[in-house]
Amino acid sequence: MGEIELSCRAYVKMHLHACLFPRCSVNGLLLSSGAPGGAVCVTDCVPLLHSHLSLAPITQLALTQVDVWCSQTQQRIVGYYQANACASDSSPTPCALKIADKISEQCSNAVLLMIDGGKMSPHDRVPPIVMYERKDSKWILKDKHTIMLRQWEETRLIANQMLDSGDHALLVDFDSHLDDITKDWTNQKVNNKILELASPANGNV
Amino acid sequence: FKMRDKLRKWREDNCRNSEQIVDVGEELISDHGSKLGDDVWIIYEQVMIAALDCSRDDLAMTCLQELRKQFPDSHRVKRLSGMRLEALERYDEATKYYEAILQDDPTNTAARKRKISILKAQGKPAEAIRELNEYLEQFVGDQEAWHELSELYINEHDYGKAAFCLEELMMTNPHNHLYCEQYAEVKYTQGGLDNLELSRKYFAQALRLNNRNMRALFGLYMSASHIAASPKVGAKVKKDNIKYAAWAANQINRAYKLAGRGTKENKCSVKAVEEMLESMQITMS
Repeated sequence: MGEIELSCRAYVKMHLHACLFPRCSVNGLLLSSGAPGGAVCVTDCVPLLHSHLSLAPITQLALTQVDVWCSQTQQRIVGYYQANACASDSSPTPCALKIADKISEQCSNAVLLMIDGGKMSPHDRVPPIVMYERKDSKWILKDKHTIMLRQWEETRLIANQMLDSGDHALLVDFDSHLDDITKDWTNQKVNNKILELASPANGNV
Repeated sequence: FKMRDKLRKWREDNCRNSEQIVDVGEELISDHGSKLGDDVWIIYEQVMIAALDCSRDDLAMTCLQELRKQFPDSHRVKRLSGMRLEALERYDEATKYYEAILQDDPTNTAARKRKISILKAQGKPAEAIRELNEYLEQFVGDQEAWHELSELYINEHDYGKAAFCLEELMMTNPHNHLYCEQYAEVKYTQGGLDNLELSRKYFAQALRLNNRNMRALFGLYMSASHIAASPKVGAKVKKDNIKYAAWAANQINRAYKLAGRGTKENKCSVKAVEEMLESMQITMS
């Protein structure tokens, strides 16, 4: 189908989410601030849950709230990501497929992204992710050549830096927000940190 | 000794903050080991388990060796050896270790639980569930096990059985708001009018036990809204549920307004919630 680009910010936050809860399955939504049609650029993500991924109420609540936030900020939900607790199995679970189906009702070229926990390491040559797209009511593997990650090296460096400095603890997912509603699931703090680290003044490419 | 007290508190609260435990524990052991007295053994155990969690096999081995020297025939220490093998993903060896313990002492619950954890780690949920059920037939009062079983069932989308486990937990822990709230979530997920009404009741119960449980508050709002919007309910039920939903919406708004004061941070979430509540109101009436 179409091309898809994953931004540094989206990837880093997903990665940090998975690392923040290494013993849990985690999931989240992929967002785009671009116009529909043509190549999709995933510009941001919202980490959702790290417990009871398959229970309905909180997932529904989160989808609704993120939807509202997106319409307030000219973004759209274009996909879903998940990292399984059992790192040896990165195949989409029934609940992943269900949520992805729901998203594709509103967004025809939605993607389902599974983080391959077994392949995650500080020295990945390629991002440890597997992407699926919807064709004829089924989710099939997306052609690797249609997936772009500009500046993978830089993205990887930023993710590693934030893990090393413990900044991943700043990340708030929807679950944590419900435990303490003063925490911000749009993660402005983390976004700023990523920008800081990515700026040319920091010596990165 | 501040470090000692920290470790003790984490032990008592059963925290899994392994990186912190490793940091504090490693320093404590290497710099002040001799001054710890008998406490040192339980600290070795605590630090060893945390070290395994952080892939610090070096530190884990150090602790394990000290414990083996001091308690050569202890089942408790053997279980730690088994856990180390698990951490190294040598599951078959670990299982053999635990089976040896159980041959010696068939009532050793720790070893049985480790065996079940291995099945989970190997991605064999059906077997883990079966073994855990067998375990619970013998050890009916084990809360931790009932909760673990409910989690396994939830992951397998077997909501009926998950509900059963949570019912057991609610019976023996009637003041625990988390069990009520989880039960309500399971019922909501099962769907259908009867389950929705049950879920609403249990979200409400969770709130009675803890009026700051946001999940329960949102859950009450959503379940009551769905019931009110259902074509199958009579006028009175509809009216009652609209009232419950309105009350919940009010509470949610208040909570977010309170949270929003003073911090710019969660401006986005406050606005999102306000709009969401507004939009849902419209679909309900």
